[in-house]
Amino acid sequence: MIVDELTVLNPLGVHLRPAGKIVTLCSSFKSEIFFLRDGKEANAKSILGVIALAAAEGSKIAVRIDGEDEAEARYALKELFEQRFGEY
Amino acid sequence: MAGLPVRELFEKIREELHLTLVTDPETLSREITTTDIHRPGLAMAGYTDYFLDERVQILGETEISYLKTLDEGGRLAALDRVCGFPLVCLIITKSLEVPEGLLERLESHGTAVLRTPMDTTPFIHALTGYLRDAAALTTTIHGTMVDVYGVGLMLAGASGIGKSECALDLVERGHRLVADDVVTIVRKEDDILIGAGSELLKHHMELRGIGIIDIRTMFGIRAVRAMKRLEVVVRLEEWDEDRLNAERLGLDDRTVEILGVPITTATIPIFPGKNLSVLSEVIALNYLQKAYGQHPAREFNERLREWMRKQAALRQEHRHDLE
Repeated sequence: MIVDELTVLNPLGVHLRPAGKIVTLCSSFKSEIFFLRDGKEANAKSILGVIALAAAEGSKIAVRIDGEDEAEARYALKELFEQRFGEY
Repeated sequence: MAGLPVRELFEKIREELHLTLVTDPETLSREITTTDIHRPGLAMAGYTDYFLDERVQILGETEISYLKTLDEGGRLAALDRVCGFPLVCLIITKSLEVPEGLLERLESHGTAVLRTPMDTTPFIHALTGYLRDAAALTTTIHGTMVDVYGVGLMLAGASGIGKSECALDLVERGHRLVADDVVTIVRKEDDILIGAGSELLKHHMELRGIGIIDIRTMFGIRAVRAMKRLEVVVRLEEWDEDRLNAERLGLDDRTVEILGVPITTATIPIFPGKNLSVLSEVIALNYLQKAYGQHPAREFNERLREWMRKQAALRQEHRHDLE
């Protein structure tokens, strides 16, 4: 199991489009992926779960990845967040 | 209960309960660790063996008018008996005057003194209600909650297994959606769990292939409800002959523990062509029947055993009666 922290860098925060990208990416892995923010936990493979975190710019999200492809999942997620979900 | 700083309590309920702080703001740093309250009248009168100093203390008409019957020496001695304990905080109701000598004794100990114009009994009810809510255990469950025939049913299972589709079908059949995907569970009292959706998501739902829809605007107000007591958990699991441990008899009631409360549960194996909504309705009705004292599987088992007893007796009777 891997525990890591992700930072939301894009000015609009995790709105619907980034949430869609996160969920699509996470669903491509076999590992279980969970986000934790402000004591709220969300399944990273669920759009509504990710949106409910309402993570604005600058938010830190703790992520817990557990499964055979956890290392790849962590790397891909980090890259997605660092690329600001393809936004400016 | 985890410690609730008096400051946090004060800031949250000062308007609703019309509270004002009499002592220095520094005194708000103590933590409340119990939801009960205490009235220190008996301790004032001299009985201090069973003083519950960890509770919020309430001074009402009884205590204040008792103090007024005493001369100065008696009054100060009465206050000393109470203020000798490390009190969390003390609240005076009905806008009664702060007894002389009380403030000095408490402020130096770091105990906050608050006042409210409310009557004592309604104030205690409101305060206890608030403290209970603040102390309630909560958790978030990845699942979809629906009120089916008045039974709070949680559909649980892996992502993409069809929880939302099942809920949608149930809504179409006249049942009411509580929350999709993210359900917040709060434990009330000792054995009651209440499920509700998040304030942001309300009754939105995500369906693969369609996207996000709003059940309330699409199906109307009858299709939703804000919260519901959780009574049954229905687990949807992929069909796997080796692993799956599906119930075949229904003689034993299976439960799953959530926040320490046992909740009736059923596991449904999923494969194409399965009618999940009808099964969910049957699970809800089965739960209701049991709640009203009927247990179909056990009753059938009784009938079966009775039948076999009679057959055995008949065989015994005919054993030597060969024609």
